[in-house]
Amino acid sequence: MKCIRAVGSLLLSAIVFWGLNQRHGMIPPAGKLLNPFAGLWLNNERGDRPPEKLDLPGLESEVRVRWDDRRVPHIFASNDHDLYFAQGYITARDRLWQMEFQTHYAAGRLSEIIGPPGLEMDRLNRRFGMVWAAENTVRFLESDPVSTRIIDAYTAGINAFIRTLGRRSYPIEYKILDYQPEPWTPLKCALLLKYMAFDLCGYSMDPGLTEMRIGLGEAVVDRLFPYDEPLVDPIIPPGTTWDFTPLPAPPIPAENAAAAPGQAAAIPAPDNSGKEKGSNNWAVAGTRTKTGFSILCNDPHLLLTLPSIWYEIQLNAPGVNVGGVSLPGAPFVILGHNDRIAWGFTNAGSDVLDWYAIRFKDQTRAEYWHDGAWRATQRRTETIKVRGGREVADTMIFTQHGPVVRLKGEPPLSERDVPVEAALRWLAHDSSNEIRTLYALNRAGSYDEWLNAVAGWDCPAQNFVYADAAGTIAIRHNGKFPLRWKGQGRFMLDGSNPAHIWRGWVPREHIPAVKNPERGFVSSANQKPADAGYPYYLGSDYAPFERGARVNQLLSGMTNVTPDDMIRMQSDSFNLRARTVLPALLPHLRGRDLSEAERKCLDELDSWNCASAPGLIAPTVFAQYWYEFNVQTWNDEKKAPMRMTDWPNSHVVIDLILNHPDDPFFDDKATPGRESLADMAFLAFRSAVGALEKRLGPPGPAWSWGRWKGTDIAHLGRIPGFGRMRLPTNGGEGIINATGRTDGPSWRMVVELGPEIKAWGIIPGGQSGNPGSRFYDNAVDDWVAGKIYELVFLKSPDASNDKIVARTTLGGLK
Amino acid sequence: MIAVIVCLIVMLLLQIVAPYWWWVMLVPFGCGFGFSRTGWSAIRTGFVSAGLLWLGGSLYFLLTGSRIIAQRIAAMFGLGNPWLLILATGLISAVAAAVSGYTGYAARTLLKVRLSGKD
Repeated sequence: MKCIRAVGSLLLSAIVFWGLNQRHGMIPPAGKLLNPFAGLWLNNERGDRPPEKLDLPGLESEVRVRWDDRRVPHIFASNDHDLYFAQGYITARDRLWQMEFQTHYAAGRLSEIIGPPGLEMDRLNRRFGMVWAAENTVRFLESDPVSTRIIDAYTAGINAFIRTLGRRSYPIEYKILDYQPEPWTPLKCALLLKYMAFDLCGYSMDPGLTEMRIGLGEAVVDRLFPYDEPLVDPIIPPGTTWDFTPLPAPPIPAENAAAAPGQAAAIPAPDNSGKEKGSNNWAVAGTRTKTGFSILCNDPHLLLTLPSIWYEIQLNAPGVNVGGVSLPGAPFVILGHNDRIAWGFTNAGSDVLDWYAIRFKDQTRAEYWHDGAWRATQRRTETIKVRGGREVADTMIFTQHGPVVRLKGEPPLSERDVPVEAALRWLAHDSSNEIRTLYALNRAGSYDEWLNAVAGWDCPAQNFVYADAAGTIAIRHNGKFPLRWKGQGRFMLDGSNPAHIWRGWVPREHIPAVKNPERGFVSSANQKPADAGYPYYLGSDYAPFERGARVNQLLSGMTNVTPDDMIRMQSDSFNLRARTVLPALLPHLRGRDLSEAERKCLDELDSWNCASAPGLIAPTVFAQYWYEFNVQTWNDEKKAPMRMTDWPNSHVVIDLILNHPDDPFFDDKATPGRESLADMAFLAFRSAVGALEKRLGPPGPAWSWGRWKGTDIAHLGRIPGFGRMRLPTNGGEGIINATGRTDGPSWRMVVELGPEIKAWGIIPGGQSGNPGSRFYDNAVDDWVAGKIYELVFLKSPDASNDKIVARTTLGGLK
Repeated sequence: MIAVIVCLIVMLLLQIVAPYWWWVMLVPFGCGFGFSRTGWSAIRTGFVSAGLLWLGGSLYFLLTGSRIIAQRIAAMFGLGNPWLLILATGLISAVAAAVSGYTGYAARTLLKVRLSGKD
């Protein structure tokens, strides 16, 4: 009896211990986490107060850090090594978990943290060649002493912080997910750059358009996804003449695309809603500004997460004084200004990713057909460790084009539209040194120095906007672009045909660029870079017309521009799509027999000033109306041949509505009759109102745009309770403030380039990565309201500024 | 009562020295083994001392800068209120300690039987 009692209670104790000591699925280890002496209770606000003095072995001399009232560090070092060492240390102190998690993701190592649910994503990221490319990048960086010195110093700084950590001081996510940080390495910096490339230029429409071409013919593809897009106002002012002799494009081969697409990925059509992210940048010349100083603005839009994507910082050492935002995990300021110039990015969107259909000799895939002969493939084994001890081996197959991402019979990859038995040719696999560009960019003091710096930036291509205190403004669609025949890479290419291989590059002096244009401003909003007069074909998957056109309309009409005007403009919520298309749709609703809800919605649209404000109903009705209009119009086409393709861009649809109202695209082929634009306009309106009524009840406050759209800033690791959800933001798709349900301006910046640089900025979150700090999300509400903060930019560590609230001295141990 | 205080102080010191949560199982086990006269007193000693320690500890941190993190973790667990999180913290520690305290007591009685059996 006593024996049973003892054994029984011991067993019970063991179960309790086991239950509380480790993670079970997504349930955190409760014992470790709740322990007041080591668990969550210690991830508190006490860490917000920076120490006055810290001894850091590894520093060459003293580094002084000034903290402003928003907890932005201003770092003053006496050499480059100490500057980037301190940047690594300080960034890790605030953002270690985020830095490591992002690079684990890029490295295909999520399974180590989250277990089997991470396997599919890990396999995709590895097959995409992210690890392979990052390893190549590290080798390439090692050949450049400047890059090596900086990456090594930054790495050492991060590791100096990691060494100070123990169970008590781990960031909360480690405690919840039950694992430990590992030492940082230069490879992780490279992985972070690949992660950005994957996000910004790791997609293509090639498989979808290929399927559509087979089903509907190339003429239809060219109509719905035209080279010369209607309504679009390109980045480089139309009519700009090109002062170079272009290289000849490669000849178009007789077979200019893969004969068959392999089998297209059998995944449901991508959900278009919220796909468009929508970064903007522009610079206004002194001729248009009130003070006569040029002004530069940038708001890069990304998938919003907490901790914030960006980390604000000022970096000062002999030869450099720069402020702005950095990416946790990479040295330097990425977007910002120094005391003479300012710069910003938007994504370029030109095509640097192609798929080559591969014919393998047999199931072993040891050989593939190319240029009339069987060629050997190469292999690389990736080992994915899964939490719990299991290891999954995965073999990557390489052709001369690149890795084959998905084999026949393998399930579709949810994140990307990946065709089977096709090799990936992606510029991010090539060696390049963006680190060197950022180093020079941070130090550039003139247009020529800037030009020199950005010439080394290959990938991901960005629209680099520039303004300086000398009054120059400029923009460059900057990156390395393959020399293509018109349309090369729009469809899947033939991996056996040597004529389909990229043959050289667009010379950097020939990329779309403009300096000091007559109109007195430059701008970009991810749209097509140049008009039909530009001699090279760069791609055909650019943003819809609205944002770019709206930016240019506003700037053209502005004189005596002030920074306040620019700040307001970044939050502009005018829906140009609605303004353009509604006058052509609403007449078709008149004289129809409308229900009460339909009449109310029509009244809302009639009286709408096209502002997408959170309190209005009209933006909700219009968004749903536009959605339904596209569903009704493209449903029949989408059934098969357009299944995998997004809907055509809004400017194509609007062009059809305005200029081709009798087009057969408006006919629903599923019905015997012939539908017209008028029918579509009415049917779509009826479905839209019906759908909204079904979900929200009769038209009322529940229909308001802020509540219907609701922006979520989720935690990077999707931990519930750690994000800010259902935020009532204004704006939306195709609007300058393109804030959607999950995407939005990850940084807003306005810089006035006078003799004293003045800058404003805001991130949707905060400086701290600690969810237990008020600096984790302290800027979110102001960001929603369209507010922005004046940035502190110090000339020296002793400069007096009443926003400086704390000082830290980092000392090297002798 | 004395057992509760001794157990609590020992746990507090050990928790400060080393960051392991399972002191709240190990120490009550020792108490149960060493000087609990009945099973119930072993359970009570563990439950009260460990419960008070974690309840008090988490309360102290809640009031000195841990409110935000407590709110977020409470939301993560679907508790909605940091006070409930404090209650959960105390309760989990108390239950774990009660179970291990009883195990300590049961282990001792078992060993005694064996010893007396040899006599």
